[in-house]
Amino acid sequence: MSGRVLTRLAPVVLVLAAGLTGCGGSDGEADPPATSQSPSTDGDSVAVTVTREGDSFTPNGERVELAVDQALVLTIDADEAGELHVHSTPEQDIAYDEGSSEHEITIDRPGVVEVESHDPDLIILQLEVR
Amino acid sequence: MDSSPTRLPEVGGAISAHGLGGAKDLPIPSELAIAGAVAALVISFTVLAVAWREPRYDAATSGRPAPEWLDRFVSSTALAVSARVLGMAFFLYVGAAAVFGQDTLINPFLGTFYVLLWVGLVPASLLLGPVFKAISPARTISMLFAKVSGVPEGEGLYAYPARLGYWPAAAGLFAFVWLELVYPSSTDIGPVRLWCAAYLGIMFVGSALFGTTFLARADPFEVYSSLVAKLSIWGRREGRLVLRSPLANLDTTVARPGLVAVVAVLFGSTAFDSFRESTAWLGVVQAMSTPRVVPDTLALVAFSAGVGVVLAVATMATGVTADTPRRALPDLFAHSVVPIIVGYIVAHYLTYFVEYGQQTIIQLSDPFSRGDDYLGTADLQVNYWLSMHPTFLAVTKVLAVALGHVVGVVAAHDRAVKLLPRRHQLTGQLPLLVAMVGFTVGGLYLLFAA
Repeated sequence: MSGRVLTRLAPVVLVLAAGLTGCGGSDGEADPPATSQSPSTDGDSVAVTVTREGDSFTPNGERVELAVDQALVLTIDADEAGELHVHSTPEQDIAYDEGSSEHEITIDRPGVVEVESHDPDLIILQLEVR
Repeated sequence: MDSSPTRLPEVGGAISAHGLGGAKDLPIPSELAIAGAVAALVISFTVLAVAWREPRYDAATSGRPAPEWLDRFVSSTALAVSARVLGMAFFLYVGAAAVFGQDTLINPFLGTFYVLLWVGLVPASLLLGPVFKAISPARTISMLFAKVSGVPEGEGLYAYPARLGYWPAAAGLFAFVWLELVYPSSTDIGPVRLWCAAYLGIMFVGSALFGTTFLARADPFEVYSSLVAKLSIWGRREGRLVLRSPLANLDTTVARPGLVAVVAVLFGSTAFDSFRESTAWLGVVQAMSTPRVVPDTLALVAFSAGVGVVLAVATMATGVTADTPRRALPDLFAHSVVPIIVGYIVAHYLTYFVEYGQQTIIQLSDPFSRGDDYLGTADLQVNYWLSMHPTFLAVTKVLAVALGHVVGVVAAHDRAVKLLPRRHQLTGQLPLLVAMVGFTVGGLYLLFAA
């Protein structure tokens, strides 16, 4: 009985396995494209440039890998002053002025931490802290 | 270039458009996700090949009677009244914070609503059975109204229309997840308070019209809690308290219209919660000129409806007997998705519940944000052990998802051998099995990628 069942199930298993591999393959390409804003690791810190032009920000929700207690150096080029919120626990705020400024943050626990602008509400970076 | 140090926010925090809580879990490692997916496949077909061919679970006979003293205690008026009084006192306490407290993220109303109530009702119902029904302030107040107006207990003006089933609860659950996951001001006190007021108003009017049956079918929290309670060991048979295996207990779930919509909203919304944080989705919605709430609402509808449609199609794609109309099948099989939901909820919300739950208990001492310490918890510190051990966390998540999958597949198998005609018993459950593997693998993929 079970032999016959298994033979009958084999095509289903194959189709499923193929489907799964297919999904895995196509979704794997969803990685964010490398841009000039891509983070660069320099010794003990990771550097990211954030550009604000009016209400639009680059990068746009990009993931950045960071180690626990490693410094993230944010260079903010903005055409108007504003504030970024780092949704670590507890939360950290970064106030920036018009022009270019440099800010340093560290995260002391593993997790995914979002760096957001408020007004407009946009997620700029997601820090993958390991 | 000036290098300015980062400021820590003053207590009270800025009002943020972000959901509650700070850092989120790291994605699970790919090896674990793949191991979980393979396990789901293997488990599914093993169950199909080796499991029993005669239905094993029967609500009329399953369960071992609980010891006499335990039954007396659980069924006692004293316990019922204490649960109602405690539930009501807690409701009034948090209600005071909602009405008189300040509009900040440290107002315990938000944490109580989103974490202790919404997430906490899952472990509470798993351990203790239908907890929310026992403490529900909506039910307590409705019972008081009925008592004052001299209506016999539980009765309303009309009989609850059987055709409605759980559809109102599905709508209520959708309203909750939309508020939590899509609405931009989900962490402002005002809108959340308004939501709660509307919820209570609908429950009062509904229970006056249709009696307490309305609360058992339409109260989103009560329906959710009572559904999860079917995975606990606590059951009743002819009024007696019985102890059942979670699988036997799950089989006693009464299929009513709309049950499939309830599970579709619960699973679809949790998946959407992972999806909305993914880089791919962020990139798309943040580049749009429309506010995020539009694409997010559409995606939440698509996730919930998608799960519902997949379930409906997968359960109906089989031969049937004359006793069971095909269109009744989705609701008759919907209970088997509950364990998959619970496993995925554990995976998705464990850290949030443990860590933000502690935070909420601390905040509860200071409902008006004045520095009070009413409950003596204000000086406690949150324990972040779970966040600090991401590997342990990831393994726990995958185990929870896999365990939920096993229980779900076994529950569906037993239902299939009970309902389907003999020659369709194996082939008839294949589409549902494929759908379940899809849900589990999809859930794991979201835990890995988002």
